[in-house]
Amino acid sequence: MQRHKFRHIGAPLARKEDLRFLTGHGRYVEDIEIPGALHACFVRSPHPHARIKSIKTEAARKLKGVVAIYTGKDLAQWTAPLRMAPPIEGLLPVEMTTLPIDKVRFHGDPVACVIAQSRYLAEDAAERVEVDYEPLPAVANLAQAVSENSPKVDESLPSNVLSVQRFSTGEVEKQKREAFKVVECEFHQSRLTHLPIETRGLVAVWDEGRQHLTVHIGNQVPHPLRSQVAARMRLSESQVTIVSPDVGGGFGQKIALYREELAVCAAARELKRPVRWREDRMENLMAASHAREDSCRTRAAVTKEGKLLGLELEILEDFGAYCFYPANYLARVVAMIFTGPYKVRDYAFEVKVALTNKCGNGPMRAPMAITSWLAEGTMDAIARELELDPLEVRRANMVETRELPYSMPTGEVIADITPRETLEAAVKAMDHKGFRERQAKAREEGRYPGIGFCSVVESTTYGSKFYKSAGIPGSGHEAAWLRIEPSGAVNASVGLGATGQGYETAFAQVVADGLGVDPSQVRIQMGNTEVAPYGMGSRGARGGTAGGTAIFLAARDANEKVLAIAAKMLGFDSAEGLHLVDGRVEREILGERVKTDITLAQIARTAYLDPTALPAGMAPGLDFSRTYDPPPMTYSNACHACEVEVDAETGALKIIRYVVAEDCGQVLNPIVVEGQQHGAIAMGLSGALLEHMCYDEDGNNITGSLADYLVATSTDLPNFEVIPMHTPSRGNPVGTKGMAEGGVMGAVGVIMSAVNDALAPFGVVADRQPLSPAYLRSLLRGRQL
Amino acid sequence: MLELELKVNGERYAVRAEPRKLLSDVLREDCRLTGTHVGCEHGVCGACTVLVDGRPSRACLIYAVQMQGHDVTTIEAVAKDGELSPLQQALHEAHGLQCGFCTAGIVMTFEAYLKENPHPTEEEVREVLSGNLCRCTGYHNIVRAILRASGATA
Repeated sequence: MQRHKFRHIGAPLARKEDLRFLTGHGRYVEDIEIPGALHACFVRSPHPHARIKSIKTEAARKLKGVVAIYTGKDLAQWTAPLRMAPPIEGLLPVEMTTLPIDKVRFHGDPVACVIAQSRYLAEDAAERVEVDYEPLPAVANLAQAVSENSPKVDESLPSNVLSVQRFSTGEVEKQKREAFKVVECEFHQSRLTHLPIETRGLVAVWDEGRQHLTVHIGNQVPHPLRSQVAARMRLSESQVTIVSPDVGGGFGQKIALYREELAVCAAARELKRPVRWREDRMENLMAASHAREDSCRTRAAVTKEGKLLGLELEILEDFGAYCFYPANYLARVVAMIFTGPYKVRDYAFEVKVALTNKCGNGPMRAPMAITSWLAEGTMDAIARELELDPLEVRRANMVETRELPYSMPTGEVIADITPRETLEAAVKAMDHKGFRERQAKAREEGRYPGIGFCSVVESTTYGSKFYKSAGIPGSGHEAAWLRIEPSGAVNASVGLGATGQGYETAFAQVVADGLGVDPSQVRIQMGNTEVAPYGMGSRGARGGTAGGTAIFLAARDANEKVLAIAAKMLGFDSAEGLHLVDGRVEREILGERVKTDITLAQIARTAYLDPTALPAGMAPGLDFSRTYDPPPMTYSNACHACEVEVDAETGALKIIRYVVAEDCGQVLNPIVVEGQQHGAIAMGLSGALLEHMCYDEDGNNITGSLADYLVATSTDLPNFEVIPMHTPSRGNPVGTKGMAEGGVMGAVGVIMSAVNDALAPFGVVADRQPLSPAYLRSLLRGRQL
Repeated sequence: MLELELKVNGERYAVRAEPRKLLSDVLREDCRLTGTHVGCEHGVCGACTVLVDGRPSRACLIYAVQMQGHDVTTIEAVAKDGELSPLQQALHEAHGLQCGFCTAGIVMTFEAYLKENPHPTEEEVREVLSGNLCRCTGYHNIVRAILRASGATA
């Protein structure tokens, strides 16, 4: 199928899923009524680090309506611990029990699970559980974590440094010695959290007769979660069903099997009664999952003209207290793709990950969010120190289209991307020259506008080969099925987990083109492991390319069989020249398409109800399934540009204009794609401007409410101007490249570029987020012109 | 336990609830009107916004017992006979929702606001919308949808 022939892929269809959400008829976990369900509430540690000396539950048990109280010791009998020990060089194995038994490791760590007849009662009882703690000195920050004689977060480890990985290619040291200059810069990204508006929650239902556990839960990866639940509950995968209906946002927080969720599953089986749990917002902020908190340093050996000769990158990441993921993997991806669209041969990195007494880290929309800031911040620093035009430094180092495919120094191959085109489009859209004139005038008036640019090369879709070569356990494949029912109705499914991406619409469009029907005839069924095939779920920006291709291939298989049956019905020997268009068979005669009388409904009826009329040897039915493992890596690219103004008196930062020129390949649905771009940029800006999960010097979390953990509202964010510059990928049959995380990468980087341009007259450089007024004022204090 | 009589979406509901039970919980659990979502339970995120006597109010900051003698309107009553309101329709067309969890609160806030101010400026829309957190959309398309629904040029 030729790409430009798509009828439905790429059409701006309004979403099918909207109607139920707009009218209050979505089905999120908490909307599912389970008669007789009990409610769980967790008792949490008020200390960052403490030994658990005893847990007294008598007073709590006396309350009417309290059914059970379970501690780490109870749960250890019924569940297996989580051992994180992938065979990765430089990463130490760690293990955790379902709830802590001997000590708590962060402020908010769950120590007991109270089950009662209502959520109100469970909360009352949780307050009456008396835990005797012996507080221990806490590891409250990275500096403490890596210092000698630091207390140990995990006593099974030799130190708090969990992973150290080094890489070097070429001769970086020599380049540094011989370079015109070595430009060094720092980057500090604050600790963030995903903050889905729907917090975590589940209902676990144990069927004693069938010995089967059904878990209703908002989750992005239903099948891998099922495997996890089964393994930790010591059940077979046949005994667990995950139902993940509508999900109120995930952003990476709803991937892992969390300890509270496992405890609720175990309680349901133990009590033989359904148990439900919904965390409150304070728990979500303090104890669900955190992200980021990286301190990085780059060193660029450059020529007088600003050309890169060699690059070094150091990353130190604060991973918190517990590992629900291999701790090296988020930072390692940053180091692997750091050079992005820029050419350099000699490159070395060191990635260190340390444990602290904070909530554990996990991947958050764009786990590699800091990447583009590192690269673009380095470009800006080179320009600043060599007194060059930052755009010229970028142009001098950026890969040219004719040089693609280009192998990054880490061996990562970028192909089918257009970084120069998107950069120039963004420069033009911002009227860069005109801006410089306006800026000069504004500075004379005591106003400080700034402009920034940030090119993004987004690793969207990880194939199994990437995981293998990066030493990360996992598979990048996705699975789909498609069934044409006897009436001709089309059902299809894919193993992803929707959290707002519009799969029911975009994949209906993919099926429509692959099979030859109208999207309105296609129903995408997802979010139930009894229905969906075993796929790896939604993470990264893999849905469109991994899931979309799998479902497209299944639809192509269906198309082939449907047309073979049509040929027989029309009395032809082969299906050559036959097409299915909007559910009707068309025939090519002398290059013209002519409609026949045969419809998909007739073909389906034959396939199911009159199999003897099928071509010789053909099996009855119209049922297709496919798996698809994408290429090692699929990249899309973009250039973000923004204009800001810094108020030197107050430190207030205003975004005047935001533009992104983006090439994410063939789009499935431009409305959905643009929405994803907006959302990603918003999440990046919110983190860069406002968000900061804050622990005090003793390790106490002081951001337990939305009055303390600030996220962007509608008055903090600008409108977004998106310039679509999509060129198809040759790596898969639809031509998609993926997107939805690059917006975060671009926003995080471009805002720093623009702010530092604004601050240039003061001779100061912002190197950390969030860019709060207090922080900007601290840079400017004593620096007034 | 108290015996309460609530009027929600024009219908009468007899409910037995503790005095401390939140309106959001009574609507969801006792009235089985689960379209009102709870996002923060401390009045910041706006997801649980309902109308009390026509005015937007946070159902997580109100006890159900306080609602006797008042008219409560929830998202379930906005579309009439299966037909979306102009605001709902505009949100659909402008892709003003993604995961949909915060959507009910935004619809309720602006169903009321657009009656009060039928032709707001973008700045006014953004100011009012700042009481509702959305983590998916970046607000751009929500603002566009509201302006479209108000008849202003988006």
